[in-house]
Amino acid sequence: MNIRNFCIIAHIDHGKSTLADRMLQCTGAISERDMRNQVLDAMDLERERGITIKASAVSVNYVHSSTKDKFELNFIDTPGHVDFHYEVSRALTACEGAVLVVDATQGVEAQTVANAYMAVEAGLELIPVVNKIDLPSAQPEAVAMEIEQVLGIDAQECIYCSAKTGQGIPELLDAICDRLPPPRGKADALTQALIFDSEYDDYRGVIIYTRIVNGKLKAGDRIRMMGAGRSWQIGEMGKFTPQMTPFKEPLEAGEVGYLVASIKSLEEVNIGDTITLDAHPAAEPLAGYREPQRMVFCDFYPAGETQFETLRDAIERLRLNDASFTFQPHHSEALGFGFRCGFLGMLHMDIIQERLERESKVNLVQTAPTVTFEVLLNTNEVIQITNPADLPDLSRVREIREPIVKVEIITPTENIGDLMKLCDNRRGVYKSQQFLSESRQILDYELPLSEIIYDFYDKLKSITRGYGTMDYSMIGFRTDKLAKMDILVNGMPVDALSVIVHRDKAPTRGRALLAKLKKEIDPHMFEIPLQAAIGGKVIARENIRAMRKNVTAKCYGGDVTRKRKLLEKQKEGKRRMKRIGTVDIPQEAFMAVLDFGE
Amino acid sequence: MPCIWQHHGEPLRADIPALYIHLPFCFHKCHYCDFYSIVDRDSQRHAALVDRILDELAYYRNRSDLPDWRPRTIFVGGGTPTFLEAGELTRLLRGLAMGHASSGPFEEFTVEANPETLTDNIAELLVECGVNRISIGAQSFQPELLKTLERWHEPSSVRRAVKIARAAGITNINLDLIFGIPGQTHRQLEDDLDRILDPELSPTHLSCYSLTYEPNTAMMRRLELGQFKPLDNHTVADFYATVRQRLADAGLKQYEISNWCKPGYHCRHNLAYWTNLNWLGLGPSASSHINGQRWKNVPQLGRYLASSGCPPRIDIEHLPSVARIGERLMLGLRLIDGMPQSIVDSLLNEDASRRSTFDHLIEIGMIERKQGHYRLSEKALFISDTVLAELV
Ligand SMILES: Nc1nc2c(ncn2[C@@H]2O[C@H](COP(=O)(O)OP(=O)(O)OP(=O)(O)O)[C@@H](O)[C@H]2O)c(=O)[nH]1
Ligand code: SF4
Ligand SMILES: [Mg+2]
Repeated sequence: MNIRNFCIIAHIDHGKSTLADRMLQCTGAISERDMRNQVLDAMDLERERGITIKASAVSVNYVHSSTKDKFELNFIDTPGHVDFHYEVSRALTACEGAVLVVDATQGVEAQTVANAYMAVEAGLELIPVVNKIDLPSAQPEAVAMEIEQVLGIDAQECIYCSAKTGQGIPELLDAICDRLPPPRGKADALTQALIFDSEYDDYRGVIIYTRIVNGKLKAGDRIRMMGAGRSWQIGEMGKFTPQMTPFKEPLEAGEVGYLVASIKSLEEVNIGDTITLDAHPAAEPLAGYREPQRMVFCDFYPAGETQFETLRDAIERLRLNDASFTFQPHHSEALGFGFRCGFLGMLHMDIIQERLERESKVNLVQTAPTVTFEVLLNTNEVIQITNPADLPDLSRVREIREPIVKVEIITPTENIGDLMKLCDNRRGVYKSQQFLSESRQILDYELPLSEIIYDFYDKLKSITRGYGTMDYSMIGFRTDKLAKMDILVNGMPVDALSVIVHRDKAPTRGRALLAKLKKEIDPHMFEIPLQAAIGGKVIARENIRAMRKNVTAKCYGGDVTRKRKLLEKQKEGKRRMKRIGTVDIPQEAFMAVLDFGE
Repeated sequence: MPCIWQHHGEPLRADIPALYIHLPFCFHKCHYCDFYSIVDRDSQRHAALVDRILDELAYYRNRSDLPDWRPRTIFVGGGTPTFLEAGELTRLLRGLAMGHASSGPFEEFTVEANPETLTDNIAELLVECGVNRISIGAQSFQPELLKTLERWHEPSSVRRAVKIARAAGITNINLDLIFGIPGQTHRQLEDDLDRILDPELSPTHLSCYSLTYEPNTAMMRRLELGQFKPLDNHTVADFYATVRQRLADAGLKQYEISNWCKPGYHCRHNLAYWTNLNWLGLGPSASSHINGQRWKNVPQLGRYLASSGCPPRIDIEHLPSVARIGERLMLGLRLIDGMPQSIVDSLLNEDASRRSTFDHLIEIGMIERKQGHYRLSEKALFISDTVLAELV
């Protein structure tokens, strides 16, 4: 049998999932009746937000339109958003080729470049596809030129298609068969299968997504995870057609499928681990994956009626499904017991928070996201902190280092000046500038991660009227004039509001932060002083005036029950608030830290 | 004035010092009104309501667990009681008095009246029936503000109504005033106060409320539609301060968050609510409280009329004792003199968490101790809902 393994990669929204729909349809894997848009985006959140969050794998059968040879095509639809790069990088190792989709109306964008380079580095063969050619504003040839210019792929190799109308899809499928190499592994070698993903099912336990690299696997086999060192018996094995379909015959080298082995927890399965046969193990595991890097951290605390234990259960349950975030119990002076969690980016953080609240009906107070800092102590010891409150006493600290990212921005040429100003404001270091086409350029900067995680992208979008895109990746830690700014509410330091800032920017940030707090915290029965301080020295202050009058205060006709319920409801309005000392602080206030005061 | 908390202990099983009657008919629905009131001129329904209320009274009179009770105060409210056809109103009032075996005047027998509907004839009838207090909804003397409220009466009719009541022999008169109406200026407030304090009116009792936007009222709807701009809290606070100052200067004592009176004229009926005594309410939507049990009659005339004996009830509550503590504080602290320390302490002794909230409120100056009583501080009067919400 001829097998082709590939993934679909692109910038966000360029049409990967829609293209996957057409391939499923064109190969008859899905009947017209079962077809719906972005059929592989099965998660509620994916459908609501219209984006892919999790990669999904599918197997389809295809008959080449001219040679009439039969092919099994295994492909993986990947997410485009920068937060989910690691999903793409995992998918790449399960494939020999990649279909690189570029929107004919948008051209090459930041994640087009980032994902294409990742695929090339992983040794994959690329097929460039110019999509959405049905749109009136499509410029297929110009976009093909951009691909040649930036990625060095011959424009003539581009396949033009519309994932909407289906135009060009058979040509694309034929090209996949013709141009992509077959899998290299041998079916008669000792078994090595790569775990490239997993999910958790309430009834069947862990479902492992695997690519057989060498040898074979079938239901009933006793397998060993080479990294974890544990062995299991395969209960069920099969392929994604696209729904999981059990297969009796073995899956052989080159094929992609799933297996179930009564594994109760995702913790038992390491993505990137190698599966081999317990009785005839391979000598070496395959090259695995690096742990995905968590870029931002924040705390979740139970709010309202929600208890710590309820929150812990909810987080553990979600973690069963999604191993991409980290969590550990954490205690805050101000907020009590909660969890410090690590995420791949801001979108990822939002998604986890929303899934927690939605799927487990818990009420959360979330602190502002921060990055990891490296602290060099006088003892020459280096520690990592993910919470400004954990910064040791300054007398013990020699140096604070912050994470630096390489940022690649693709922008219309006319906005270059404003973007450079923005980057300079954010302590950026200019690296290079490169032409993409007549009207577009690629701008490279090094920037502190803390300066870009929050509103940088929005600023970029507004400066470029939506046309600019960006990608970033970690390059290391660098020291700067950093200090911890403490926030005092009613004289009490609130650890969850403290923030590590650049000293020169501290007064501006401090004032912006307090102004935001003042806006978010309702007037209380008493006056509330707000202060920002560095090392005990106050650098900004504000006052929230005491409440003077709220609409009173009838109690007519003895309808005491109604009056009581009204007052109770008024109190309930504070559900998502945290009481610190005697001050009720709403969720939104904890995000005040993100106000840059620009 | 003796301490109004003199009958503070848990009331006796059969002691029902207050009786409330709800007559829901009005000739027009004011936009801020959230009482159960309906526009209904069908005199047959008026008669049927009187029958049914007297029937409900009889039901309570005949209950063996409430032997021989006699209220000290009666309050006939609504709605607009004086909108009832005169014959029916007399029949009702007589029936109320006769329903109670040992007759003789009630300590306080109030009927609410709309300034337009009070006539010499009705006033005389009221007096004949034993009514000794009248409550008139003046609300404001500014035609444009009355218009904003969609309150239909001529400002001058208030003075006329007061005159009529006095002439008939009713000297204990309450006026209702609303402040904080959208568009109201400080001058307009002063003018309202001037008029209300005019010697010719000179009421014995005043209820001054800041306008509240109640859910499901036309006023609230208009607010949501942005048809007017509500006054901001600081202006309303200034207005409240003005009201307090002017009324105090005129010799009226504030004895509750929104109530003032000449010495000795506090409303005994309303005090029953605030001091947590028992009362029965008759008529659709009327609330009752007997020994910690609260309920409300159905707020639907049709369903009320269709029933007999005990009417259908909603919101039946018998609160656990901890919640009742909150309720008693919520009510008692509405009084300007507050609650006797001994009562508060005995309530809070059973409730450590409320005790700490209470101590916190003392600490931040919202509650103070004066003359053996705990009471809201002056500052707290302006934000009483917030302070009291902490305690419920
Ligand atoms: N007109 C037209 N619209 C298309 C075409 N392909 C995709 N779209 C639309 O483009 C939008 C994005 O398509 P998706 O398939 O969700 O894009 P994606 O690349 O999977 O996006 P992410 O997974 O979030 O990165 C949707 O509204 C599609 O309907 C096309 O060929 N023509
Ligand atoms: S007259 Fe009184 S009860 Fe009737 S609608 Fe107006 S405010 Fe409401
Ligand atoms: Mg997608």
